[in-house]
This record gives sequence, structure tokens and C-alpha cells, in this order.
Amino acid sequence: MLQCIFLLSDSGEVMLEKQLTGHRVDRSICAWYWDHAISQGDQLQPVIASPTHYLFQIVREGITFLACSQVEMPPLMGIEFLCRVADVLADYLGGLNEDVIKDNFVIVYELMDEMIDNGFPLTTEPNILREMIAAPNIVSKMLSVVTGNSSNVNETLPAATALCVPWRTSDPKYANNEVYVDLVEEMDAVINRDGTLVKCEIYGEVQVNSHLSGLPDLTLSFANPSILDDMRFHPCVRYRPWESHQILSFVPPDGQFRLMSYRVRKLKSIPLYLKPQLTSDAGTCRLSLLVGMRNDPGKTVDSIDVQFQLPPCVSTADLSSNCGTVNILSNKTCSWSIGRIPKDKTPSLSGTLVLEPGLQRLHVFPTFQLGFRIMGIALSGLQIDKLDLKNLPHRPYKGFRALTRAGHYEVRA
Amino acid sequence: MAPPGQAQRSPSPSQPSGKGEVSDLKAQLRQLAGSRAPGVDDSKRDLFKKVISYMTVGIDVSSVFGEMVMCSATSDIVLKKMCYLYVGNYAKGNPDLALLTINFLQRDCKDEDPMIRGLALRSLCSLRVANLVEYLVGPLGSGLRDGNSYVRTVAVIGILKLYHISAVTCIDADFPAMLKRLMLNDPDTQVIANCLAALQEIWTLEASNSEEASREREALLSKPLIYYFLNRIKEFSEWAQSLVLELVAKYVPSDNNEIFDIMNLLEDRLQHANGAVVLATIKVFLQLTLSMNDVHQQVYERIKAPLLTLVSSGSPEQSYAVLSHLHLLVMRAPILFSSDYKHFYCQYNEPFYVKKLKLEMLTAVANESNTYEIVTELCEYAANVDIPMARESIRAVGKIALQQYDVNAIVDRLLQFLEMEKDYVTAETLVLVKDLLRKYPQWSQDCIAVVGNISSKNVQEPKAKAALIWMLGEYSQDMHDAPYILESLIENWEDEHSSEVRLHLLTAVMKCFFKRPPETQKALGDALAAGLADFHQDVHDRALFYYRLLQYNVTVAERVVNPPKQAVSVFADTQSSEIKDRIFDEFNSLSVVYQKPSYMFTDKEHRGPFEFSDELGNLSIGADAADTVVPAHQVDANDKDLLLSTSETEKEDGRALSSNGSAYSAPLYDAPASVPASQIQSDLVNLTSGLSGHVPAASLAIDDLLGLGLSVTPAPAPSPPSLSLNPKAVLDPGTFQQKWRQLPISLTQ
Repeated sequence: MLQCIFLLSDSGEVMLEKQLTGHRVDRSICAWYWDHAISQGDQLQPVIASPTHYLFQIVREGITFLACSQVEMPPLMGIEFLCRVADVLADYLGGLNEDVIKDNFVIVYELMDEMIDNGFPLTTEPNILREMIAAPNIVSKMLSVVTGNSSNVNETLPAATALCVPWRTSDPKYANNEVYVDLVEEMDAVINRDGTLVKCEIYGEVQVNSHLSGLPDLTLSFANPSILDDMRFHPCVRYRPWESHQILSFVPPDGQFRLMSYRVRKLKSIPLYLKPQLTSDAGTCRLSLLVGMRNDPGKTVDSIDVQFQLPPCVSTADLSSNCGTVNILSNKTCSWSIGRIPKDKTPSLSGTLVLEPGLQRLHVFPTFQLGFRIMGIALSGLQIDKLDLKNLPHRPYKGFRALTRAGHYEVRA
Repeated sequence: MAPPGQAQRSPSPSQPSGKGEVSDLKAQLRQLAGSRAPGVDDSKRDLFKKVISYMTVGIDVSSVFGEMVMCSATSDIVLKKMCYLYVGNYAKGNPDLALLTINFLQRDCKDEDPMIRGLALRSLCSLRVANLVEYLVGPLGSGLRDGNSYVRTVAVIGILKLYHISAVTCIDADFPAMLKRLMLNDPDTQVIANCLAALQEIWTLEASNSEEASREREALLSKPLIYYFLNRIKEFSEWAQSLVLELVAKYVPSDNNEIFDIMNLLEDRLQHANGAVVLATIKVFLQLTLSMNDVHQQVYERIKAPLLTLVSSGSPEQSYAVLSHLHLLVMRAPILFSSDYKHFYCQYNEPFYVKKLKLEMLTAVANESNTYEIVTELCEYAANVDIPMARESIRAVGKIALQQYDVNAIVDRLLQFLEMEKDYVTAETLVLVKDLLRKYPQWSQDCIAVVGNISSKNVQEPKAKAALIWMLGEYSQDMHDAPYILESLIENWEDEHSSEVRLHLLTAVMKCFFKRPPETQKALGDALAAGLADFHQDVHDRALFYYRLLQYNVTVAERVVNPPKQAVSVFADTQSSEIKDRIFDEFNSLSVVYQKPSYMFTDKEHRGPFEFSDELGNLSIGADAADTVVPAHQVDANDKDLLLSTSETEKEDGRALSSNGSAYSAPLYDAPASVPASQIQSDLVNLTSGLSGHVPAASLAIDDLLGLGLSVTPAPAPSPPSLSLNPKAVLDPGTFQQKWRQLPISLTQ
């Protein structure tokens, strides 16, 4: 049972306060939280015990969502709910920041009112909420000016609540029926200095953007579902067809949603290598980095960049590269953005690090974080076989895309 | 997680007082109140917005209460909502003024638009003014009978709110019984879920003073009800699913087939997108199988993948909460996770509290087959930029060494740490080497050679210094210059601020004296003199004790200071196994995140300086509910904890007191305001049975269940054919059990 939700700006100001139960939570808790947050810095845990309440907090775009409770409850219930609140608000207001929340605080109150009552979450389905409270977009503003009806509350109650597909708006109509399926994967890898792969794993999502009229019934199948290690489904996915034939059968929500997320473990090949070399002697250290293709995925790899933290004992650093740009920030974070790998040369970065006086050799070593993006391929090898649509009057347009980017992709020195 | 940067964080800004603006607003509102001019709603809306934004930044705008109420006669729903919000905020402080709002709220409760009916009812119940409860009973009663499910959802929660304002009024109006009927018959699952939430809370609080309530509370866990919820689980919203699963976790099935059937039905919940549902399901699985050893282990195997996916998929906040639960399971059954050790490798940019959990798990899962790799990985962290992390990983290496796997290699690694010449690495390592030597004296030769090379000047941390001194004393016969190092340390006695170090120094020099008397005699004299003059009581006493012991008899003194030692076999664990079991029983609760059972932190003494009303007791539904039902197979965890049971009774007392307190303030309501309860009931029956085709089906299903007994897959409620998610279990019971038998078990203990 959550007792109160606060929204705090990035300077700790209370932007919004929603009391949920008869027990009023005093605002002083926010001041306590803020002092605590400052003292903890980036070591702040999501679940904190204050002297009086248990606090759940998440931070999105500088805005802190803070929920208070005094009783034992499932922690994920609190955290998941706050995440959904943040998602719904971002969706409604077209982004999250201090101004947009202050300008639309009435809508935020209205939304919270429908999402949670007496501390218990009711519905967080964007489709249902949208039917209860209209989003403050330009169209509705125009409409209100033209028609003189300035209420942003829809006149009717959502019919979907009564249906068996609560996630779908009742009977949307589109002139152009289209559905897009995206495979978006993130590769996490840890590579040792000698190039051995410590661990490599892919976390992927099947994102669907559906604009289909009526109540379509979709089935999506993969060419090689056996490579998936574990998956989680949107509530619209029927479990039985997946269990028996590894087919995703579902009635999609309207608009963009995450149909499924999955994990693929124990991958053997990584697309890029990074070779760090550090030799230190007499108070200076030579650093050189080489980046290149290891296993060509067959598509262009772009947005390559390398980030690392210089050890605290380095007093000055002089680094240069043969392609891309190198930046060293005041907090000793160094970033090297390469972009695409040129055809004629191997990108390399080299230079000297001067250690603090008294130190002969470097004893702590940086970890290099590599970023990249590959369009048009899912590196796990997952392939969509086909997408069938039933219950549709016209043949819709179907689009497929794939994208892989680096998640935690790190190389140790 | 990306908290706002340090620099941006400043103390809370001071709030403006805004007195002048408020009186301005008051005048403007007064002007608009009676006006019926076109466009007046728009200007009202601007003013309301201002009032509420003042309220939000913390300016007291209660003085415009009267004007706000006067302006509230409007058909504009946004205006209404703003007004409800305002009224809800200030009514409690202005009970007399709140009376003014009753009229328009009651009128709105009869509006044509169900949305307005619902909103008005919600606001009416949110006023929370004790002397207005008489006006609640009527609207709530009709709210429960409303044809629209939205209004019924609001009414159900409204009854819970009423109960908290005045329990007597709520019970006298027979609302709990009506909720129960609604729970069993309503076609809308959100209404059902809200009924369940409200009834759980009401009956738990009532249980202490009413037999019937405690019977009803237990009836919630009866088979027909549990099956009723389970069969409709997929129709519930994700949050309601978590609530139902929480209830199911307390249910005690009659036999193994039933357990398998429930698990079969719920298995797909493990792949739900909402982490709260997944964890609640895992709790059900763990609790159901407690009595079946083999299956319980298989449950670990089965839930591993969903948990690991949750950790890697969610936001950092979510993954931390999941990781805490994973941590609990790993600590409970490390063997089952020993092949998954790579999942606990730390990523460079994870926050420290996540890395710490992962390190503990890595330490726990280490065994013969993976120790080498784990220790190699830990050594990577030790050389990393992150200093607290480096310290923790060295400690982890030491803990693994104490677990007796592959000690040889680990000792080598530790000695390499000593050669890294980083003071914090050296410090941590020294402490560990000391512990290792206490357990494995046979390694002393290797260690002493390296430790002897460390200059005591490089060791500053008290713990490390004490460890070094202990080794100097213990192995002084093997370390060539031990007496001289001790001597130089004693010369600097005055500069040594830590009493722990001085105590160790005394003991070490004594030990050294018995092994190499001629070289140490002078140092011992100096040490005893310095010790006797020491201002620290313990140091002084120990010096005096050694001095008199030596005076009395030197051989006795040697027996006291240098007795033959046995190697330590097991170091004391910090957390008792009872506490661990207790936390495990509270899986999917805050206890897991804090790594403390809830009685340790939900006790009242814990609450500090902020002021609180006595409503606290009323709110503790979650914690109590967890304690109320004790399934038979949890016996092992139960009879251990006397402390717990006392604290529980304390809680009970507190609750009884507080509900008595609120009962006292409850006024009697006049008869005309409410219809006799029996009539409401019969109305309700008539109405609900006329509501939709679902109703007979649902109640039929219950009858079926009562008759059917064991089958978990009875006829699903008929619903529009093309869209229904089939509530039937995916596999037939036999196949399911077969499948579970085939799940791998890493190791049977």
C-alpha cells in the first residue's frame, strides 16, 4: 500500500504531491530524502528506509518519483508502478521535464487519480487511460478552441475495461493499415585484456508498432526460436501456441508496444575488437588503443565510440587519434568517438599519461566501454519467419527491421 | 540509475508565503461565484489552476475554501476534478466547511455520467471527516449497486476508506457482507480485485475483536475461493494478479496433485512482462513446494531464467529489487546456482550496491569447479579504478579461500596483492592473510616470507596494522627482524591513535618475548611502561595484567600468552539461519531488500522524529497479513522465534487500541440515510443477477468447484469466442508433472 507519491524537480522542489490514504504523509519527508540523496550521490538505492517511511524512488530525466509506504509490501510493486507512472506521463506529455509537468499538473493529477486508489494500483494500461483522459496534444487544443468544448476528459467511459482485451482500444479505424516489427538487441560483453571473451550475452526485444483497424489476430513465427534462452511476453500473447509450436499469437494493442523480450546466452562471436596497451615507466605511461572488426556482421557498424575513466593517479593526459575525435572531461572521463571504421586504416588512439609525482608505475587500470550500432541485423541470429494477419478487411503493409547496439560492452586493460 | 548530478542538487528551496496573492484569488473567486456569464468556466478554470498550483508548492490556501465550494456548481468536469482535489486536501482541517461540500458531492453522485458519479463518490470518501460519515452510507450503498463497473470499483474502495474513518458505521451497514457478495458475483475483475483488497484489510483489522471476521478471513484461503480467483487470473489486471498471487501463496493445498495443478496453471505467469507478477508467482511456487524437497529444487531451476531475464531487462531500480531476491535464493541454495556464476560478474558502470550483492553471490556459489575462474575475475576488480570495489573484491577472495576450495592458488593471488604496493590493497590483504593463517597454519612459511617484506610504515589502517602486528607476534620465530619492527613500533607508541593496535602490540611483544627473550627484553619493558601509562582503560589493564603475570610466574605467563593453538575451522556467520529462514518466508517483500525480517524494521520503536497520527496501526495490513496465516509446512520457520511472537502480539494490541479509538469517535447515523441492510442485500442480488450473462456462469463455476473438488481446470467462463485467452491450463496435469520431473537438478543434497 503506497501512502503518498511526490514528484520532485532536479533541485529538490516538490512539484506534485498525491496523498493516497487517510494517513497524510508530511512533506518534510522530501527534505529528508533530498539531504539523503545528496549525501549518497550516485550510490543512492532505489528502496530506502527513512526514519518514518519506506521510500521507493526512481529518477527519470532529472525528475524524482518518490513513493512512501509504512507497511510491508512487494518492493517490485512499488518500483514497477512508479516506472509505469513515469512511462505514462512521458507518453502523455510528450517527454518529461520540470516545465512540462508544471504546465500540465492538472492532467498529472487526473492520471494519478485513475491509476491508483487508496494506495493500490488500478490500471496502468495507456490505452484505457487515454480513453478516460485525453492527452494535451495540439489537436485537442485546436478542437477545444474551435468547438468551444474545452474539457479534456472524454465523455464516455472506456469500453475496453469490459472486454477481454483490456489492452486494446475498442475498434480503432485506420485508412492505411500497417504494422511494423522491430528486433532491437543489446549486446553485453566483457573481454579481457588478452582478447578472451569472459561473457557475452544478448538482451533483445520484439517491438511492434501496429496501426490496424478492428480486432486483428496476428501470428508471428521465428525461423530459429530454439536459440532463445528465456523470454517475457506482453499480456496479449497467448501462452499455449508458444508452448507447443513457438509461435507468437496475439491481438495487438494499438500503437507502439513491446511484444516480447528475450535473452540469448553464451554467444561466441563479437563484432568489434579493442586492443589496449599500457606500458608505464618512470612516472609516465604510454597508452595505445586499436579498434577494428573482429567478425564482420555483413552490415555497416556505425556510431562507434570508446569511453573510459582515467585512473585517479594520472595527473595529465595527452591523447591523439588518427581518426575521430578525442575529448577528456574535467572528471577524467575520456571519450573517443570514431563513427564508422574507415576502409584504409585501423583507428588508433595513442598518447602519454603523466602520473602523479612519486608514482613509478600504473597499478590501477581503466575499463574501456565500447559503443556501436549495427542497422539491419540482429546479432543473436534470431530471424523472423513470417507474420500472418487475420480478421482484417484489407491487406495491410508489413514492415520488418532489426538493430543491434552495444549494451555493457567492456574491455579490460 | 541516473540520479541528478551532484552539482544540481541543492537544499529544498524555501517556499514563498504568497499571502497577498491568496487574498487576491479569494476576491476574484467571489466575483465569479454567482456569475452565469458565458466563458465564466474558462476564467474559473484559470483561477482554480492557480489555487491548486499554490497548494502544490505548499502555500496554505485553505482560506478560500468557502469560495471554492461556491464556485463548484458547474458542469465542467475538469473544474469539478480540480475542486474535488482541493476539497480532499483541506476538508480534514476544516470539518465545518467540509459540510458545505457534501451537498454538491451528493448531487454529483446521482449524475447521469458514470464518470462523474465515480469521481464524486471517490471525493466524498476522501474527505475523511469523522462527523460526515452519515452522508457516506447512502451514496456508497447505491454505488455498490451501480450499473457501471467504474462506479462500483470506486465504491468498493470507498467502503474501505469509510472503514478507516469509522469502522462501526461500516460494519453496522453490513458493507463487508455486501463486498463479499460482490466479490463472488461481479462480472468485472477490477471490482473483484478491489473487493478482495478491501475485505482482506477490513477482516484482518476486525479479526481481533470479532470471531466472524477472523473466520471470514480464513475463508478467503478456502479452496473454492482460491480456485475462483485462480481460474480467472488472466482476466485480472496485472496489479490485481499480484494481489491474488499473494493470497494464493498462503494457501495450503491438500495434496501433491493439487500443488502441481496450481503450478501448471500459473507457469505462464513467470513470463509476464510485469516484474511484480513474476515475483509473486515465484513466491507461490516456492511456498507450495516447501514440503517436497525434489520439486522445491526444481523450482529453483525453473525460476532461474525468469529472474535473470528480469535482472537484465528492467530499469536499474527494478533490477536491483530483483537482484535482492536472487541474492536471497543464491544464499539459500548456492549449489543450484554454481553453474551460473558468470551472471554475477560485475559490470564496470553498475552502482556499488549492485556490485556488492553480486560479489556476495559470487562468493557463495564458488566451488571446486569454478573457483579458479571466479577468483581470476575478482582479481580483475581488485586492480580496478574503483577503490571500494577493489576492497570488497579482495575480501571476497579471502572468503572464498576460507571456504576451502583451491586454497593454494588463492594464497598465491593474495600474496600478489601485497606486491601491488597500493596501500588499501595491502591493508585489506593483510587482514585476510591473518584470517587465513588462523585457519590454515600450514601456509605460514609462504605468507611470512612476503609479509616480512612489508614495511610497517606503509600500513596505516588500524585493522591492517593490528593484523600485521598479530603476525609479527605469532610468527616471530620465523621472521628475522620481528623484534626490531616491534621495537620501532613501540618507540612510536605516542603516535599510535588506535587502542586496538596498542592492545595487539602489547600481546605481540609478549609472544615475541617468550620466543626470543634477549632481543625483545628491552622492547617489552618499554611497552609495559607505555601501556601502564596509557589513558585507555583496556590498554592500561592489559599492560598491568601482563606485568603482574610476569611478576608472579614466567612459565605460567608463557602458558597464558602462548598456548598451543588449534586452527579455527569455522568462522562465526553474521546472520543466523533462523533469520535467513524468516526472510525467505517473506519473499517478495521489503524484508528481502533490507536483508532483515520485517519484525526488525516495521516495529514501532523504529519510527523516528516525524510526527504521526495513531492511524498507523490501521495501515499495517500488508505486514500483518503475511503473519496471519501459517501454512502447516512452514513449521520449521515458525517455532523458532519467540521474539517475533511477542512483537506480533504487541502489534495486535496496538491495532485493537487504535480501532477502538476510531470507533469511539463514530457518531450514530440516522436511520433515513440508509436503507435497511437486508433490503440492500436483496436489491443487490436482484441487480447483480441482472447485470450480465457472466454472472450465472461465474457462480456456477463456484458450485462446480465445490462439487468437483480437485480439478483445477473447470469450465471457463463463457466469453466472446474469438478473443478469449483460454484460462485452461496449457498442459494436462500428467504431462506437466512429467515435464517437471525432467527438469534438471544440479545436485541433490
